Amino acid sequence: MEKAEIRSRYFLGAFLAGAYALPFAIGVWNETVFFDAEWLASLTTVILNGLMQGGVYAMFAVGLTLIFGVMRIINVAHGETVMMGAYLTYTAFFYLGMDPLLALFLTLPTAFAFGWVVQKLLLNAVVGGPELTPLLITFGLGLVMIQVVEWIFTTDFRTIPYNPDAIRLTQNISVGMNKVISFSMAAVISIGVFLFLKFHRLGKAIRATAQNRDVALVCGINIYGIFLITSGLGAALAAAGGALISIQFGFNPETGIFYTLQAFAIIVLGGRGHYIGALIGGLMLAVMESLISFMVPNGTAMVEIAAYGLMVFVLLIRPRGLLGAKEG
Amino acid sequence: MSRHEDVRNLIFLGVCAAVLFFLPVHLPLYLRSVAMFTMMYVVLSLSWNIISGYTGYVSFGHVVFYGIGSYAVAILVTDYSWHWVPTLFVGAAIAILLAIAIGFPVLRLKGPYFAIAMLGAAEGTRVIVTVWDSLTHGGDGISMPNVDSSFETYYAMLIVMVITILVSYWVGHSRYGIRLNAIREDEVAASSLGINTTYYKISALVLSAIFPAFAGGIQAYKTLYVDPDQDFFIQITIAMKLMAMVGGKGTVIGPIIGAVILYIVQELTWINFPTAHLIAYGLFIIAVARFMPRGLMGFFIDRGWARKGMVH
Repeated sequence: MEKAEIRSRYFLGAFLAGAYALPFAIGVWNETVFFDAEWLASLTTVILNGLMQGGVYAMFAVGLTLIFGVMRIINVAHGETVMMGAYLTYTAFFYLGMDPLLALFLTLPTAFAFGWVVQKLLLNAVVGGPELTPLLITFGLGLVMIQVVEWIFTTDFRTIPYNPDAIRLTQNISVGMNKVISFSMAAVISIGVFLFLKFHRLGKAIRATAQNRDVALVCGINIYGIFLITSGLGAALAAAGGALISIQFGFNPETGIFYTLQAFAIIVLGGRGHYIGALIGGLMLAVMESLISFMVPNGTAMVEIAAYGLMVFVLLIRPRGLLGAKEG
Repeated sequence: MSRHEDVRNLIFLGVCAAVLFFLPVHLPLYLRSVAMFTMMYVVLSLSWNIISGYTGYVSFGHVVFYGIGSYAVAILVTDYSWHWVPTLFVGAAIAILLAIAIGFPVLRLKGPYFAIAMLGAAEGTRVIVTVWDSLTHGGDGISMPNVDSSFETYYAMLIVMVITILVSYWVGHSRYGIRLNAIREDEVAASSLGINTTYYKISALVLSAIFPAFAGGIQAYKTLYVDPDQDFFIQITIAMKLMAMVGGKGTVIGPIIGAVILYIVQELTWINFPTAHLIAYGLFIIAVARFMPRGLMGFFIDRGWARKGMVH
């Protein structure tokens, strides 16, 4: 058994190395890779931008991993919550005239309340039941959310013009200001949540519930209350991710499903239910995506396949991912 | 299940098929196409039911086989000027190969992970179809030569539907189906009893991939237009799943009833409320998953309005 564990770790390492090498190989094949100074500078730019983007991915993936870790529920409406966060920010920016970052003080509580209500009405009754019921329920919920947003805002792509300046590190290497801002916000929020989970009484209760629901119940933790808070927290993190996405990319009601896939790939890679794993997975996926869109022809469409392929292979090679605990 | 009851069910199916056979002569064009699409959804929800209802591996990406079927027809008819009937078989063959290729790795995943992986497979295929300009004409879609195909496609769909019902009936009444059910209930126990679970799961996926490919192909020849967003539309998967779930998954008659009811409701509502019917779909899924996990048929059986033998 132990041997199989170690072997799967090596397989995963080899797979990831191959996955990162593949875009380069395709680039060489298509002669888009030159290895001169200018190309290396743009490669560095691409990787830096990928890392910045990864912070945002990590943040909404953390929400998903938290929900999965505590309740063993796969929330397929998570991407739609990200999308909802983007639209809430859009509303605050254009109709209330708020700064997108200031708007976080509005969107986060709203999303928290949303997650709480969804958990209370739909999901609390099915935690611990068959795994597929919550999957179907959140799927239906996501569908309703897409249609409601489409109804209000139409299917047009929206963007928020925000701080488009770039920071020049050297002559050829530069990073968008909005990316740096959103990365720092993502870092602050995810470290804040990490410290909350580590040291606060409530955070400890959440971790206890994730480790063993029954023992937590016996110790006097109101686990259904914890479920409500976790779901709210997950939705708030997703909405924060959406807010930070909205200041860098265009979005429309249908983009949610892509974020669901990405978030899922990230938590599978990092280890389902593992907080730090989701952070690392987010950075890794984003870097891989930016490498692909940089070197592979039609790369911007291919990134969608990257997230998906990564997820399936990790599930097959090593289902517990990089850092996750072994499942019984 | 007695032999007697098999014969009775077959006669019933034959009568229905005969009615449907003579119906289109008397129908205006619009109703004929409604009838054809209703039959298409019967095919789709029954096929989804084979892998997801009997085996319990809920597929969130079944539209991929439907899309492959419609693209095979569109490409071969438009660019290679084939007759449209053989292209249906090409589409089905590709769908079988794809089902095997997807099934080998992905069917090793359990429950929700299989669902998400299938969702990804469908989305990934849509992206490939969009990107592969030289073969698929990319995001513009393909318009086929304009012909009146409403009679041919109606009868083709009728034949495919009858075959799908017969195959589903066979699956539901044979040792094969019982083994699939055993996999659904407890896969480890099933394999410890000597059932080759990999073989059964993959063959179930293949069976459930063939008919959507045919349906997709016939539908493409009816509408004479395909594009990636329409033929790999996730909503078609949702419809299959919802119809089977509303009717009662894991039965033969359930998906048929679900498809007929929901398609007609959809047809009546979507013209007036294009958005509202999707919201209703979402709420429907939530309500069925939450309160009626065994669908209408389960609901009827629980109240003694239908006999178990009749629907299984």
